[in-house]
Amino acid sequence: MSTKGQHAQGWGFVAPALLWTFAFFIVPFIVMGAMSLATLDGRTLIWGLSFQNYAELAEKRFLWRAILVSLEITLTVTVVSVVLAYPLAWIIAFNVPKRWQRLALLLAILPFWTSYVVRSYAWLLVLARDGVVNQTLINLGLIAEPLTLANTRFATVTGFVHFFVMLLTLTIYANLVQLSPNYRRAAQDLGASAFQTFRHVILPLTLPGIVTGAFLTFVLCIGDYVTPQILGGNTELTVPQVIMVQLGRRADFPLAAALAIVLMGIVTVAYLASARWLRLDRL
Amino acid sequence: MTAPVTLSGLNHWFGTYQALVDINLNIEAGEYVTLLGPSGCGKTTLLSVLGGFIAPSQGKVMIGGRDMTSVAPAKRPTTTMFQDYALFPHMSLRENVGFGLRMAGVGRAERNRMADAQLALVGLADDAEKRPHELSGGQRQRVALARALAVGPDVLLLDEPLGALDLKLRRAMQDELKAIQRQVGTTFVHVTHDQEEAMAIADRIVVMHAGRIEDQGPPARIYRQPASLFAADFMGEMTHIDVQVTQQGVETPFGCLHLPAPQHGAATLCLRPEAIGTTGAQIDLGPARVRDAAFFGTHIRAHLIPEAAPDLVLIAHLPPGDMPTAGDVLPLSASADTITIFPKEP
Amino acid sequence: MMRVLPWVYLAAAFVFIYLPVATLVLFSFQDGQLPVPPFNGPSLRWYADVLGDSRLTAALINSVLVAFGASLTAVTLGFLAAYGLARHVMPGSALIRALLIAPLTVSYLIVGLGLLIVLTQMGFGLSLMTAGIGHVVINLPLAFAIIYAAMGAQQQNAERAARDLGANERQVIWLVTVPMLAPAIGAAFFLSMTFSWDEFIISFLLTRFDVTLPVEIWSMLRSGLSPRLNAIGSLVFLVSIAVVLTLELLFFRKRRS
Repeated sequence: MSTKGQHAQGWGFVAPALLWTFAFFIVPFIVMGAMSLATLDGRTLIWGLSFQNYAELAEKRFLWRAILVSLEITLTVTVVSVVLAYPLAWIIAFNVPKRWQRLALLLAILPFWTSYVVRSYAWLLVLARDGVVNQTLINLGLIAEPLTLANTRFATVTGFVHFFVMLLTLTIYANLVQLSPNYRRAAQDLGASAFQTFRHVILPLTLPGIVTGAFLTFVLCIGDYVTPQILGGNTELTVPQVIMVQLGRRADFPLAAALAIVLMGIVTVAYLASARWLRLDRL
Repeated sequence: MTAPVTLSGLNHWFGTYQALVDINLNIEAGEYVTLLGPSGCGKTTLLSVLGGFIAPSQGKVMIGGRDMTSVAPAKRPTTTMFQDYALFPHMSLRENVGFGLRMAGVGRAERNRMADAQLALVGLADDAEKRPHELSGGQRQRVALARALAVGPDVLLLDEPLGALDLKLRRAMQDELKAIQRQVGTTFVHVTHDQEEAMAIADRIVVMHAGRIEDQGPPARIYRQPASLFAADFMGEMTHIDVQVTQQGVETPFGCLHLPAPQHGAATLCLRPEAIGTTGAQIDLGPARVRDAAFFGTHIRAHLIPEAAPDLVLIAHLPPGDMPTAGDVLPLSASADTITIFPKEP
Repeated sequence: MMRVLPWVYLAAAFVFIYLPVATLVLFSFQDGQLPVPPFNGPSLRWYADVLGDSRLTAALINSVLVAFGASLTAVTLGFLAAYGLARHVMPGSALIRALLIAPLTVSYLIVGLGLLIVLTQMGFGLSLMTAGIGHVVINLPLAFAIIYAAMGAQQQNAERAARDLGANERQVIWLVTVPMLAPAIGAAFFLSMTFSWDEFIISFLLTRFDVTLPVEIWSMLRSGLSPRLNAIGSLVFLVSIAVVLTLELLFFRKRRS
């Protein structure tokens, strides 16, 4: 068979997927980029090369506040999730007997399969003014008046952390068990304490896995609309919430598109910052 | 730095499975001992007990006269060289070798100097900055050895240290290990399933089977006069001949032989291939027909069917001179001191 | 102290992980209007209420249809692309792979927003179909990556043998490649179904009158806390874990035998 014929046949197989991606991903993406440079005159859209939307992001307080809030929440969630998930993965990998590990892991991620929207709603029940946490604390006599837990940033972070702890436990556990147990034995054999073994051997060896998991957390968290909308209320808005507001009653597509581009810019920066350790091919 | 090791009354169970059965073993300071046996015989478990990675269900581990039975690996005067080497991939060779010294609080300059000296000992002085993944298998093995020796252990434990190397390299490394052991004088306990490796390297071989010590002694003694049929078989290929031990002597298909034998009754007589020859030794096996023969360089390996016992196939290593052809009839004989007889196992 | 600490942490982690799920399920049996303490019940009234709700059942059927259709399309396109790239030498194949994987790196919100802008500019009506198109966009990279990774030299040799024995391209694919890759194709389909079934934001942006289950639940949420939501949430959870556990057991059995 000639190489030309081979090429043609190969294209035949690849073309449908490529066309789909092109038509429904690349083209929308380009149009969105163009839209972010358009302006709105009343209700009429004026295409052009205006950077007015981006200028607004810097000028209007509710817009740059949203970017700041999104960054703060996402960074908090990423750090807290890693710090909570690492010990959990460690305990399942090294303290739980081998034959129970699979079960422990399955149990640790089972609530993954509650519906995405329902999971945030369930946290609303837990954190509500007369919800489980407040009622328990009052009954225990620890507080007199119910605490305001729902519709706060704390609630948003809690909901996110719950989801990402499950995700990160899974990835960090996979990282820990694939290490040869002889690394730990060798370190201890050479006189390292449990902490030294962790600090000098296990942590450096699992760092790529941690960074990969943290990057994934960052990307999924900063682009999420549901959790802050249900749990955070309207006290402060994240970028996805502001985007949805623009799409809603204001129908300001150009501004929404500009915000989406900014969101992608932030993700790109995060990618570049962590690229050294990322192992995306290993996901 | 070196110390004797005494194991007494060791038993160990994994659940209901008994991995070690009544182990009693004395190892002298500076001795090179190999634990030899098939996989699952308990040799690695025994090494783990020595290293402190497994606390034995019963019994005592004494190292240098001190009871170490329940002392953690970090606090023991032993270090282990692991089968997969367990070199830390994120550290240079110098950092790997210096790791134990760093944990002991030795300052950077001093530990780098000591690590470089250890690397020089194993012939890797110029590679101190490299990472483990840049090395060949044989070089990694040397780094693992240097790392284990750097903390100056009294006893070095080696778990199948040459298992990952190809045959040629393995034979070369055996000699090197032995030379390094002579040089440092540390007690070496080396686990292997390769009897040639054990014979090449050990002062003393400990043959293990099903959690027990079957036999122990210098390589030549274990090979020539093994204490059990298992040890005999494990040390090398042999022909088994069913015999009866009676008042008169050992009744074989080749007549009644007067040999030292265990109690009366059914027994197995073992003949090493190199014990069989055509030159007229003490014991006459009569004429035998060649079934097939193959040239092995140092010898010719032949299957022979003796006329006295047509059901039997003798395996013999004949001198590499002239090649017999199938169907030839050769007069066979064997020397008496290479024959061992064991009671027949039920 | 050091011995119990890990177990205390493990227990605390499980309490945290199961707190919302347990609350959700418990108060789905609430005999009252509010899913908060004190618990009165148990009662099955909210389950009866939910199962009798025609809007919810319609949304559920819509969700299954969209998930099935989108997964089938994504896996078919993904398989063909993987086969083409793995078996034919093509110029720029690294670029093509990167292009096919690209949607994976972008938030669902942005994928949905881009499609929404294009569709509205073109005057295209929003429907279950447009949501399905969006789901294919996000599931195609995953299906492609999983199937492409599974295409090894072993299959290639079997394909060569089949060709050598006179099979044409179509027969090679149907009789050799697809059966040999069945586990990867199955995994890609299952994962695609899961993602599509649970996806909210794209469905929310790209549907109008007929909606999927997550969007319907979202609109129920606007009327505040209600044990109805607990009941529907518990049902979805129960069905999901039943499917997951069944698959886990099936795969486990298969791998062992």
